Amino acid sequence: MISDILVIIHDYWLLLLIGQYPNGPLGGLANTLILSALSIALAFPISIVLALARLSKWPILRWPVTVLVYVTRGVPLLMLILWSYFLVPLLTGADVPSFITMLTTLVVYQGAFLSEVVRAGIVALGNGQMDAGRALGHSYLGTMRYIILPQALYNMIPSILSTFVSTIKDTTLGYVINVPDLTFAASQVNNQLLTQPFQVFLILALVYYAICWSLTYVAHRLERRITRRRAGLGVRLAAVIAPAKIVSEQS
Amino acid sequence: MSTPELQQDLHAIRISKVSKRYGDFPVLKEINAEVTRGEVVVICGPSGSGKSTLIRTINRLEEINSGSISFDGRDIHAPMKTRELNRMRSRIGFVFQSFNLFPHLSVVDNVAMSPIRVKGVAPDVAHKKALLLLDRVGLADKANAYPGQLSGGQQQRVAIARALAMEPPVMLFDEPTSALDPEMVGEVLAVMKSLAAEGMTMLCVTHEMGFARDVADRIWFLDAGQILEIATPEEFFKHPRHPRAQRFLADLRH
Ligand SMILES: Nc1ncnc2c1ncn2[C@@H]1O[C@H](COP(=O)(O)OP(=O)(O)O)[C@@H](O)[C@H]1O
Ligand SMILES: [Mg+2]
Repeated sequence: MISDILVIIHDYWLLLLIGQYPNGPLGGLANTLILSALSIALAFPISIVLALARLSKWPILRWPVTVLVYVTRGVPLLMLILWSYFLVPLLTGADVPSFITMLTTLVVYQGAFLSEVVRAGIVALGNGQMDAGRALGHSYLGTMRYIILPQALYNMIPSILSTFVSTIKDTTLGYVINVPDLTFAASQVNNQLLTQPFQVFLILALVYYAICWSLTYVAHRLERRITRRRAGLGVRLAAVIAPAKIVSEQS
Repeated sequence: MSTPELQQDLHAIRISKVSKRYGDFPVLKEINAEVTRGEVVVICGPSGSGKSTLIRTINRLEEINSGSISFDGRDIHAPMKTRELNRMRSRIGFVFQSFNLFPHLSVVDNVAMSPIRVKGVAPDVAHKKALLLLDRVGLADKANAYPGQLSGGQQQRVAIARALAMEPPVMLFDEPTSALDPEMVGEVLAVMKSLAAEGMTMLCVTHEMGFARDVADRIWFLDAGQILEIATPEEFFKHPRHPRAQRFLADLRH
C-alpha cells in the first residue's frame, strides 16, 4: 500500500506538480496555488470596495452590493461556478478558458465573503476613530485610508489567511468545469492506473491537508499575536500594513 | 460690507438659535451664545443635559435641525462642499473624553499625520513641529512610543498636541479629564491652563470646577438642552441666579 503510493508519486510527481506543462496548459498543484493566490489577491481589494459601499450612506451604493453579497453567500459555490460556465460564454460570445471562469467566480465569491469580514472589522473599531479623523479635517475616505483601514485590515490578517485556506479547498470544485488543477491531475493519474483509486486520492487528500493545515497553523499563530497586541502593549504591528513612517506621497 | 469683518474680529464662534432633536427628544433647544476671540468658556451642567451634543455641533460632528453656528465668519452648518467643511473642521481643534488616539501610529506620527495628509505640510517639517508640540505637553521622550504604552494622562496630552498640530484658532474639549485616574487630571489641566494663558480661544466641557474658577472667562450652564445661565466664574460660583444652577452647584459640593 505504502509502496504503491511511493511508486505513484515517483511516476507521476511532475504531472501532479505542473500538469501537462510545457506540452499543455499549466496544471497540477502549481495551478491550484496560482488560482488560489490570484483569487485572494483580486478578491481582497474588491472586498474593501464592497465593504465601503455597504457602509456608505448612499442607498445607491449600499443596495446593489448588499444584494450581491446576500445572493453570493446564499448560493452554493458549485451553482455559481456552473452559472459562470454556461452564462458567461452566452453573454460575451467568447470562448472563455475554464481557468478564467473559475478565477472570476472565486473572486466574486471570496470578495463577497471577505467584504463582510472587512465590514465587521471597520464596525468593531467604533465611532471614536472616525470622529477623530473627521475632527482633524480628514475626508471620509482619507480617514478610512489612513486611520480606519490600517487597523481593521491588520486585525483581519488571520481571517484573510483562513479565507485563503478555504479558497484552496474551493478550487477543487473547478474539476466540474475541467480546470487543470491538482484534483484534475490526480484524476488523470487515476484514469491511467484504473486500479488504484484509493491510493491516488489518498495522495491528493494528503497534499491538500498538508498545505491547508500549515496555513491554518500560521493563521492561529498570527491571531494569538494580534490578540495580544490589541490587548495593550507593543502595538508595533501596523508596520505590516500601514507605513510606519509617513511617506511624502499625498492622496 | 464691513460688518462681517468686524464680527469676525470679535467672535470666534457664534451659536444662533440652534436646535437639535433625536427623534422626538429635543437635545438642544434654541441655543444662543457666542465665544469671543481669546476667551475661555467652560460649559457645565448635569449629565445628559446636551453638553457633548452642543460641542460636537460646533465642528459639525453632529448635524442640527435648525439654527446656525458661525465660525471664521461662515455658517459651518450651511450647505457646502465636503472639501470646504473639512477645511473648516481642520481649523477647530477637538479633544475627546476617550482620547481617540490612532493606536497603529507612533506618538509622533499621531501628531504629524494630519498636517501632512490634510494640509500638505512636508513630512520632515511636520515631524519637527510634532516634536516641538510633544515637548510642550511634556512628552518629547515618548515620541516613538505607541499610544497603548502610555498612561491615560499622557494619551490625552498627546491628543491635545495632535489637535494643536493643525494650528487651529479655536480648541474644543469634551470632558478631557473625565476618563482619567484622579492623579492624572492635574497634568492635563496644566496643559490646558498654559494654552489659555497663551490666549487660545477655548470651549471646554468639564466638571473640574477648580479649572473653571481659575481659568474660565465665562461659564455657560446647560440644563435639559438650554443655556440657563451665562456668567463669570465669580458670579456663577458666588451667586448663581438660576435655581437649577444653584442645585447643580450644591450637588457638586455635596
Ligand atoms: N445618538 C443619540 N441618539 C439618541 N439620543 C442621544 C444620542 N446621543 C445623545 N443622546 C441623548 O441626548 C441627551 C444629551 O446627551 P449628551 O449631549 O451626551 O449629554 P451630556 O454630554 O451633557 O452628558 C442625553 O439624554 C442622551 O441620552
Ligand atoms: Mg458628555
